[in-house]
Amino acid sequence: MPELEAALRELGREIEFPPMPDLAGAVRSRLGERRRPWRRPVAIALAVLVVAIGAVLAVPQARTAILDWLGFNGVKIVRVEKLPPAPVVGNLDLGRRLTLGKARRRAPWLVVPTATGVGPPDRVYFSTRLPGGEVSLLWGTPREVHLLLSEFRGQAFIEKLIEPGTEVERVTVDGNPGAWLGEPHVFVYRDRNGRVRDGTARLAGSTLLWQQGEVLLRLEGDLSKQEALRIARSSR
Amino acid sequence: MVSRPLAENELVQRAQSGDEDAYEELVRANQGIAFRIAYLVTGNAAEAEDAAQEGFIKAYRALGRFRAGAPFRPWVLQIVANEARNRRRSSGRRTALALRAGEEGSSGDAAPSPEGSLLAGEERARLLAAVNALREEERLVIACRYFLELSEEETAAALGVRHGTVKSRTSRALARLREHLGEADA
Repeated sequence: MPELEAALRELGREIEFPPMPDLAGAVRSRLGERRRPWRRPVAIALAVLVVAIGAVLAVPQARTAILDWLGFNGVKIVRVEKLPPAPVVGNLDLGRRLTLGKARRRAPWLVVPTATGVGPPDRVYFSTRLPGGEVSLLWGTPREVHLLLSEFRGQAFIEKLIEPGTEVERVTVDGNPGAWLGEPHVFVYRDRNGRVRDGTARLAGSTLLWQQGEVLLRLEGDLSKQEALRIARSSR
Repeated sequence: MVSRPLAENELVQRAQSGDEDAYEELVRANQGIAFRIAYLVTGNAAEAEDAAQEGFIKAYRALGRFRAGAPFRPWVLQIVANEARNRRRSSGRRTALALRAGEEGSSGDAAPSPEGSLLAGEERARLLAAVNALREEERLVIACRYFLELSEEETAAALGVRHGTVKSRTSRALARLREHLGEADA
């Protein structure tokens, strides 16, 4: 018997594979197809379940990663091979603009960063897209966002869809669980009425996601992890 | 397959800016290996074709996130193989694919093995049987590394495991094959 590895290579050349289909032609004819309307909640719910379940079961590491994250009040980080298309950055739909005081009355659970150098938000928005509402604090202008902090009362589950290779790090914010995502991502969550919704990251930067009591906070912007954590820890 | 990193980079760049011809060429350059991987995973030609096609479409849509300068093949193989695993799972199939080698003389040519062939027919059959007797994860790693001649890196991407897992799984599989073949000799 010749050397085993050489023998295997030789055997490989004789393995019978089915005849090669014309993939290139078939793929080419589909390239022009319009993408499915991912942003409709129903489509998203189905797509996400399929993608998430597939991804979870397919890759042992993904399963580990998810089990790893279960402690985070229902937040799951799911690695997928491809993110659903993100909406155009700059098309921020944050809801109605109001004052910080009014936002606090609408959402008594609201927390605001007090870190030095951050200052009060330049704009405050309240959206009723979610049951219970979502408050967004924006520093900069909608055209040039420096920092965006979104807060809502999240329940049941959140799933963050990330591609293989995206950096995800578990962090704590004053003892509360959180996750640092160094790259853009899509996240999907079930709102308080049980509806599955998409919450695509609206900025192209990195994101810190953390839980503070019943409130889920998402800080987006062109920040280092240290800066993001400093701002998060100052929120009260 | 001749690797042409410069040409590939250029094709990827063009495809990223929406050049469908360029992407078709990328598919053509990688479809053989992608289809074979999908076949090894799904164990079914029709499903392998679907998985490979869908994988290439998904890769096209994800091209914006492909890192410039990175090798295209492992990236796309990972997407195709993942698609293949998902399909195999949803089909509920549990029986592993049994590989077959071309029979000598199956083309009507009764000539003996060509000169230079290291494996006599009987040895080849024993080796193939030993490979087929491996646990599936080990068989897949052997198939990727030796039958498809993928690098360890590409094998890791295709199987969705770590580089170190590919190494350890390969050496375990080789040991098992040696054992199997040794026992058969005894």
